[in-house]
Amino acid sequence: MREETASRPESTAPRERLLDHVDGALATLCLGSVLVVVAGGLVQVSFGSYSMTPIQAWQAVFNPDVIFDLRAWEAFLLDADLPEMEQRSLIVWNIRLPRVFVAVAVGMNLAVSGAIFQAVTRNELASPFILGVSSGAGLLILLTLVVFSGLSAFLPLVASVGGAVAFLIVYAIAWKNGTSPVRLVLAGVIVGTVFQSLQTGLFFFADDIGVVQSAIAWTTGSLTGTDWEQVRMALPWTIVAMGLSLLGARQLNVLLLGEQTARSLGMSVEKVRFALSGVAVLAAAASIAVAGIVGFVGLIVPHMVRNIVGSEYRKLIVGCLFAGPALMVAADVGARLGLGLLVGASVQIPVGIVTGLVGGPYFLYLMRKQEALGEI
Amino acid sequence: MQGNERVGRADSDADAKRRTNANGKTAAPSDSVGATPTDDVTAKSAADAVELQGKDLEIGYPATTEPVVECERVLLPAGEVTALVGPNGSGKSTLLKAMANQLAPDAGTIRLDGEHVQSLDSKELARRLGLLSQEHDSPASLTVEELAYHGRYPHRGFFESVGDDDRRAVERAIELAGVEHLREKSMKNLSGGQKQLAWIAMVLAQETDVLLLDEPTTYLDLHHQLRVMEVVRTLNREQGVTVGIVLHDIGQAARFADNLIAMKDGEPYDWGPPREVVTEELLSEVFRVDASVDADSPTGPHIAPHRAIDE
Repeated sequence: MREETASRPESTAPRERLLDHVDGALATLCLGSVLVVVAGGLVQVSFGSYSMTPIQAWQAVFNPDVIFDLRAWEAFLLDADLPEMEQRSLIVWNIRLPRVFVAVAVGMNLAVSGAIFQAVTRNELASPFILGVSSGAGLLILLTLVVFSGLSAFLPLVASVGGAVAFLIVYAIAWKNGTSPVRLVLAGVIVGTVFQSLQTGLFFFADDIGVVQSAIAWTTGSLTGTDWEQVRMALPWTIVAMGLSLLGARQLNVLLLGEQTARSLGMSVEKVRFALSGVAVLAAAASIAVAGIVGFVGLIVPHMVRNIVGSEYRKLIVGCLFAGPALMVAADVGARLGLGLLVGASVQIPVGIVTGLVGGPYFLYLMRKQEALGEI
Repeated sequence: MQGNERVGRADSDADAKRRTNANGKTAAPSDSVGATPTDDVTAKSAADAVELQGKDLEIGYPATTEPVVECERVLLPAGEVTALVGPNGSGKSTLLKAMANQLAPDAGTIRLDGEHVQSLDSKELARRLGLLSQEHDSPASLTVEELAYHGRYPHRGFFESVGDDDRRAVERAIELAGVEHLREKSMKNLSGGQKQLAWIAMVLAQETDVLLLDEPTTYLDLHHQLRVMEVVRTLNREQGVTVGIVLHDIGQAARFADNLIAMKDGEPYDWGPPREVVTEELLSEVFRVDASVDADSPTGPHIAPHRAIDE
């Protein structure tokens, strides 16, 4: 008996410490993010061409006839026929909410993808698009819109494939008896430069303004017109990528100790690096497929979270899972309603423009506030 | 050219019995299966201690054509502390990296307890052989305890969470490295010496039979140099861990090591207990220093350097 009581504090001590961490900064961050997402979502469902009061919108969101209707969920998630429902619920659930859900998925994917790339390349300026993903996706988007317009129906898939292929090219260029973070980043710059030029060149062959606008929406990232189809497209990949990144958090932590240490701890650094990059590309591709190339989210969010919870990757990834959606949903509110508020026009702008406008100054603020911004 | 020089020296050397090999690229006793333990304490643990041996090694880097290190035989005897000493660029770190299988030799084999290290799975090797490299960086907000837990990496499967074994090993490592009071501190708030002890705690948590350390005392103040060396010594004496350690300071090596391997121009120049290896001749030939050596000093051979010898 005495032995048992004596050993108990020892075995619970680490768990209590773990709880301390969870209780502190991370919990606050997650709670704050959830509040932002909920508030942003409420704004998104309340405003639009069919006007209703926020309270009516709120009631429609929490309409039990929809939430507890299996057939409705089948319609949303499995593309079955939509059951009959009241008009407000229909507008909220079928038109306005899916856009919020897509924003949540995109935010998660980009933030986690950026966090992984920052560890893999050991570079705090890495983003989901550092290894050529955005330029590959962008080039194929342009090619599809301008040259192979017959493939437009498969644009999301084509864009994701382009990103993944560019990533593989970058890896092949960087490989020489193994890779190194610096060589990976440089190869990313090389491939990015060439693809970017080709992409810009293709704009000259676009013969009508509609194609150009569509291309810009895709290459700057936009959530306009997203609905349940996009949710269905992104959801499985998002779940897989987020699950894998949570599982890979410990590998990321060990990678942060430097290649030599990781190797002497028995890690197969090349394999782990490639696998984790693959997860990050998957996440980025999932977000490109539904929203195009949304910039800055993947760069800013991991920074923001690291500032609050530190660089321990289990906490960092969990933080990104919450903070990414918060930024994305908030930015999409600005993209959808901002112009209306400012100039009274009912035009929507690509959300990528808003994330850039918000992200740039925030990054400047970070740079000014922190002396050692480079510390991962 | 240098090879010839070496042969010439070995022939004229009265101590040539330790270097029976004609070209002198040997850093091991010529007749050894295992070396004789130097004192009772090591003898006790030497039974399950493990030796690390390299044979016919040629080690280079991808960028170089000539091998940086050539070594016919190098032995870290089981349960003993072996120090690699030599001037800058003599290949001691390169040799150590190759012994830890971090650098694939162009030729030759390295055996851990008789097994090829190249054929061992990387995690399996990391459970038996630990390496603390010269340069390492850590995330600023990482705590000492979290760092120590990373030492358990090779013992944990991909899906495994921290087990009782891991906790026990980390507690022991933290205690042995003497960093209990720093446990919750982040690495960014530690001094250089404290950081080094934290890294040592990590490599101790690995619980390996062989421990290789690359200049663990360089850039540390005297207090922390001694702390690091004492931890290494304790680990060796109490757990029978075989230690290979690159040291910059030959005086320190002479005080703490059971054996010295003196390296010159990528080849082992001499091997043996400090009292035999550390001579005025070695200091002038290998280190290009004019010094007098008091071999009878009770704490090991005492070196008084006088001046650098012109090239």
